[in-house]
Amino acid sequence: MLRAIRSEFLKYFTTRLWWGMAIAIVASAVLFTVFFAFVFVELMPETTPDTMPPMEPVQLANSVYTAGLQVGYLLLLTIGVLQIGSEYRHKTITATFLANPRRMQALLAKAVALVGIAILNGLLSIVASTAVGALMLQLLGSDPWPSNEILRTLALSLLVLAVWALIGLGIGILIPNQVAALLIAVGVAWIVEPLVTFGLGFWEWAAQNVVQYLPTQATSAVINTIDSGTGAARLSWWGGSLVLVAYALVLAGLGIWRATREDVG
Amino acid sequence: MTTTPTRNGSGVRGKRIEIDRLSKHFGAFKAVDELSFAVEPGRITGFLGPNGAGKTTTLRMLLGLISPTSGTALIDGQTYAHLADPAGTVGAALEATGFHPGRSGRNHLRTIAAAAGIPDSRVDQVLELTGIPAAADQRAGGYSMGMRQRLGLSAALLGDPDVLILDEPANGLDPEGIRWLRGFLRHLAGEGRTILISSHMLSEVEQTIDDLVIIANGRLVTSGPMADLSGGHGCQIRTSDPDRLIGALRIADVTARVEGDHIVADTTDLRLVGDVALRAGLPIWELREKNSELEKLYFSLTEGTNRNLGSPGAVSAPAERDAITGQEGANG
Repeated sequence: MLRAIRSEFLKYFTTRLWWGMAIAIVASAVLFTVFFAFVFVELMPETTPDTMPPMEPVQLANSVYTAGLQVGYLLLLTIGVLQIGSEYRHKTITATFLANPRRMQALLAKAVALVGIAILNGLLSIVASTAVGALMLQLLGSDPWPSNEILRTLALSLLVLAVWALIGLGIGILIPNQVAALLIAVGVAWIVEPLVTFGLGFWEWAAQNVVQYLPTQATSAVINTIDSGTGAARLSWWGGSLVLVAYALVLAGLGIWRATREDVG
Repeated sequence: MTTTPTRNGSGVRGKRIEIDRLSKHFGAFKAVDELSFAVEPGRITGFLGPNGAGKTTTLRMLLGLISPTSGTALIDGQTYAHLADPAGTVGAALEATGFHPGRSGRNHLRTIAAAAGIPDSRVDQVLELTGIPAAADQRAGGYSMGMRQRLGLSAALLGDPDVLILDEPANGLDPEGIRWLRGFLRHLAGEGRTILISSHMLSEVEQTIDDLVIIANGRLVTSGPMADLSGGHGCQIRTSDPDRLIGALRIADVTARVEGDHIVADTTDLRLVGDVALRAGLPIWELREKNSELEKLYFSLTEGTNRNLGSPGAVSAPAERDAITGQEGANG
């Protein structure tokens, strides 16, 4: 198993993808942190004085420190799809299963390696966003560390990245065409889900009982960002975590189950 | 044929491959149909058939990549997935395209070595063996077909395997490369390894192989040692008194027999036959080398019974064109 995991890490770190992704994740962390800190602290209190509840400093800090996560989890979703999709596309899956014919082991190794890759990228992202974010909040006159709850949020942001990478792995197997898998995965997460959320917002029952279980909404619940004000119900941080983990287990599980049985031609 | 083939598997390291009533159906299509043959250690076995005959499907079943509909494909009495040390027992090069274009050849081999528990030092060794150490640090996307073949062969050799399975290894190699491959495989077989190579062209491998397995439409056509199948080399003679010439040839240590209105002699030395006939005072009405039966057999297969081309003689021109296009899409 350790050999298979080492092989998966080698696969990730021997193409240019890894540093491209690392740069993208750090850059988005820095950019969004600066942008959100500015927007939340400087602009929002003036534009929405009465309609919104007063902003809690903890939510503010959480939102600033995890601002890059909105892009970061999509990048990890992409990495998850590519880790298996490129094997199908370039037919290296044959070599993978020849080197280790215990397919279940080979695929679980992929999942473990993806969790490791997510944590590495997440740590890079956290270092960048907390350094820049704390500086910004300080400059803008807001408390950069109002509570140790922020520590929990940062730890959970690693979980969020790992879970989205595993969702990517599942989708990458279930949709063996790499390009289609990428388009569908990112499209659903970034376009379809917000539209559905928006649409269901007009239906009271769905807004209170369905929307909170959608993956992006669950992600927001886990890291406890500022509510976007749709009035929809939101899960607790642990509820959101459980929902996300369930998505990962179902999708990656289905994918791995299928790949252990499928003919490789 | 530079060295004598190792008869009866002189080596101890080789493992036997046994295919027993192996079938793979895709819906109603029988890609492989009740196929049985064995591959012996210490010998190079050619696995031949027209494109789409089921060669690659058979090899993939042998390697556990495709699950058979029925029957078994065993290496050393085990399925590939149940071998204690798969990479150390079997090395396989299945497709020339199985590389990530952005990864260097060396790193490609390292990912495989890591998964199989093989040290990185072995990667450098196999790159030396296949003659591509210089190119190994470039990204595989820029490799020529010949380089890809050598990289595939490198991957197959990583575990120093007892059994080597190569799918169309001569594809894309230049004549120099084919000669190199021939010597290399001969050397490996000489060490007692079991070697199975597939090809859709008899001429490409006939000088390399000891044994031959021919399949068409997923079924076995014939199998056996090359020497038996090719029916020996000989020549065909017509003269006025066949019996007298056969007697004269026997004195010259050439066995010959009457077949129809001509003599078949077990020699390709046409000058010797001519000299013997002259000394015996017999006229030569015809004297020529005999075509190999094997070549004729294989030719008839690739021409006639290829299912991708439809039934012979009954194809109109446009249908034939479609069929040929279809054949390109199919893969042996």
